[in-house]
Amino acid sequence: MSFWAQAVEIARVDLRVERRLGDILRVVLPFAVVGLLVFPLALGVDLSAISLIGPAVFWAVGILFGMQVALRQAAHDNRERRDLYALLGVDPAARFVGRTISGSVLMVGFLVVLLAAMIVLYSPRLPEGWPIPVIVGLFLTAVGLTELGTLAGEVTAGLRNRTALASLIIVPLALPLVIGGSQTLESLARDTGILPWLLLLVATDLALAVAGVAMARPLEEASR
Amino acid sequence: MNRVRILLATAGIAVLTGLWFAFISPVDRLQGEFSRILNLHAPFMWVAFLAFGVTAFASIMWLIRRTLRWDRLAVASVELGVVFTATGLFTGMVWGQAVWGRAWDWADPRMASTAVMFFVYIGYLALRRAIPDPEMRAKRSALLGAIAVIQVPLVYFSVNLFRSLHQTQSIRPDGATMPREMLTALLVNFVAITYLYFALLVGRLHLARLEEASAAETARGPDAVTPPRLSEVKDV
Repeated sequence: MSFWAQAVEIARVDLRVERRLGDILRVVLPFAVVGLLVFPLALGVDLSAISLIGPAVFWAVGILFGMQVALRQAAHDNRERRDLYALLGVDPAARFVGRTISGSVLMVGFLVVLLAAMIVLYSPRLPEGWPIPVIVGLFLTAVGLTELGTLAGEVTAGLRNRTALASLIIVPLALPLVIGGSQTLESLARDTGILPWLLLLVATDLALAVAGVAMARPLEEASR
Repeated sequence: MNRVRILLATAGIAVLTGLWFAFISPVDRLQGEFSRILNLHAPFMWVAFLAFGVTAFASIMWLIRRTLRWDRLAVASVELGVVFTATGLFTGMVWGQAVWGRAWDWADPRMASTAVMFFVYIGYLALRRAIPDPEMRAKRSALLGAIAVIQVPLVYFSVNLFRSLHQTQSIRPDGATMPREMLTALLVNFVAITYLYFALLVGRLHLARLEEASAAETARGPDAVTPPRLSEVKDV
């Protein structure tokens, strides 16, 4: 089985497990939408302020709840499953790539739904021609966040306070992704060019992908 | 031990010399006496970046060589990096309060991104505390140490990337943006604080070796108690 065939198979299995568990659709996504509802309630009925903070709240909620998507139960292999993959001769790098593919699919879906909810709830002033650049930025952010989540999930596998610890690692490291993603829309509104921000996202995604593939084997050893 | 003491003593002298240079150098026309903070703030931040770079290098070396000394170096450097980052942030806030009228300014992306970098390495130290097994601890923290450095360039170049209140680099390839006397004081402080970092690093590594020896001794346990022989016991 080739590297890519292994990666696609891992992604397929991961998505199937997630479909059965339904953690993201039934728990994380509704909770994130509740998160969007809390901010205006705390701020008071100031429609112009609510409309102004909408995109910022979207990124804050997206990153915080996106971590839950990245650290979802379906992406966590127990010891037996790891041993099985090792016995089957699955390349650890293919496992990382597979996890990144499935996680990115879920993360993009999660962020798109959250974006739609934000637009409905906050009525932000969006610049003309926003959908394509924003979706591209969103996609690149989702890939990076998933890569970070996969790496942090492996580093903290089996630890007592795994979720809190992995979140503490992911959130600060996601800084280039948050900046790149949020500045895409901001630059579009100011008409100052979005290319540098998209390049920042691409560079971060690539750096994380290289780190993930290069460290896949030591990561697998570390999580045993 | 003597070597560590000599290093720390000479580092103390170097820092005092740096401070003396900072106090005799001319001040900025607009910022007045507060401009002297630059002589501590910039070197502290430079050493913090250096410390995290050393951590990344030591982490990669651990992954290649798997010897404990690289793990020791990585964690010692992170601890110092965290302390220097906190000190750099504090001096920056004091400077900001004096010059901008606000200790924390969101218009300064360098400040916010440095604070975020600080928390990445707090996470690194938290991860180490969560893993009791030394081999596993070294392995996982080496992976994080190698990945975490990814954001250091973003923090460094944030003043160039964003519209910012923070001044850009004072020393550039095309020359410095300050008079020679101020530049000399700044460079002396760069050398002194870097030397202080290396002295503290050597001291921390020495301490880590002592801690490991003590832990090994504790694990071995005390010598077994030999019960007295009946013939040696009186009044039986």
